[in-house]
Amino acid sequence: MVHLSSFLLKTYHGGHIVIRLAMAGHKQSNRPFYRIVAAYNKRARDSKYIEQLGSYDPLPNIYNEKLVSINSGRIKYWMGCGAHSTKPVAKLLGLAGFFPLHPMTVTETEFHRALAELAEEAAPEDGVKQQQL
Amino acid sequence: MAAFSAARCLFRSYSLVKNVDQNTGILIRCSRRMLCSAPSDSSSPDAHVKPQFLDSEVQDILTRITGLNLEKVFRPIKQELKPPKYKLMTDAQLEEATQSAREQAQRLLKMPPVLPERKPINDVLSEDKILEGMDTAKYVFTDITFNIPHRERFIVIREPTGTLRKASWEERDRILQVYFPKEGRRLTAPPVFKEENLKMVFGQDRHEDMLDLCQVQFEPDSSEYIRVHAATYEDLEKMGKYDLLRSTRHFGGLVWYLVNARRVDGLMIDMLQKDLLQDAVSLVGLFNKVHPHSETAQEASSQQAYGLDLLKIYAKWESQRAGYVELALQAYEQTSAESTV
Repeated sequence: MVHLSSFLLKTYHGGHIVIRLAMAGHKQSNRPFYRIVAAYNKRARDSKYIEQLGSYDPLPNIYNEKLVSINSGRIKYWMGCGAHSTKPVAKLLGLAGFFPLHPMTVTETEFHRALAELAEEAAPEDGVKQQQL
Repeated sequence: MAAFSAARCLFRSYSLVKNVDQNTGILIRCSRRMLCSAPSDSSSPDAHVKPQFLDSEVQDILTRITGLNLEKVFRPIKQELKPPKYKLMTDAQLEEATQSAREQAQRLLKMPPVLPERKPINDVLSEDKILEGMDTAKYVFTDITFNIPHRERFIVIREPTGTLRKASWEERDRILQVYFPKEGRRLTAPPVFKEENLKMVFGQDRHEDMLDLCQVQFEPDSSEYIRVHAATYEDLEKMGKYDLLRSTRHFGGLVWYLVNARRVDGLMIDMLQKDLLQDAVSLVGLFNKVHPHSETAQEASSQQAYGLDLLKIYAKWESQRAGYVELALQAYEQTSAESTV
């Protein structure tokens, strides 16, 4: 299967194929929206890609959901052709259950929890200080 | 090397996912088949196969009762304003055009299915306590592969507590509408479907529009669909306005609902008043098929009754307003006797 990737590399475009997040549309707006995309490694993040494999909306909607769509059939095809996935995509797919869970997700969760605990410890201290004042 | 082990992990998890795919697909297909087909072995000794809505005999009876009023089926609906087209035809061509119009009407009158209410989905795919507190929002993952039927699609939610569960039916409907929009369907149900607003709509005699809207918005086995349809049929039965649905595709559903609730009296009287004797007879026949243990059915089978006799048996045994039905029958017999004389 790795041979297929080198077959695709016949014309020089530099690098291999990756499955990554590309920001979709409209750099002016303060509203990010990502497309999960199979593209050549060396191309710019938002420029021409080979195929769109899904989407990811990082802002939650009114039901507090972040919508992610995954075209599992095509992702399987590209992974079979030797595409690599970047860290954010690997994390998303790990959360989905498509990939095994990414170790950095666990590390980040522990980090967030530690931060939250620090914030909690800080907040009662601030409250006490304000009362004293 | 790392890529190789990752690929091996991937293939292992892919095979797991593939098996889950097939198993859930088979399960869903089996459960759908079990819902549709009748139970083959029941506990009672003289178990009968309960006729379902989609049986060919039941559908035949219901299509006959619905009638085919071409004027009503092809009445002007709200559409783009175009100037009318006039065609010059011979008699034979007019016959052909009427025939094709009739076939088109029959296709338009195809009845929407009546399905039992769907069971809620409570599947948890994985519980990962290590992921608790990762994020304040849920992640909804949808599989947008093209060739899967919507009922078998994977729509999975990762909660902030770390559990990976399948989406419930309402969430599924909403998210499928986001990625595969159906025309006319909205993401949230329009407020017409609330109780008070339904009553207002019924007051304006717009039951048919209501049912069409419900058809577009909800899936046939969702609880909302069944609730709205039940409310509509109840109101129609209370007011006696069966004519509103008579030549539409919802009439079969109305008749099926009334027959299953055993409250066919109003409809029967309405039919007799409009001199639709054949329809009344087929209605009683359908009733006997669906409730073969009732006294009407047993009397009918013992006496091998047909036609008017069926109606007389029904009037005697089953109907609550027996006097009314018998009066109407007598009036019909008198008029038929006078017409023959």
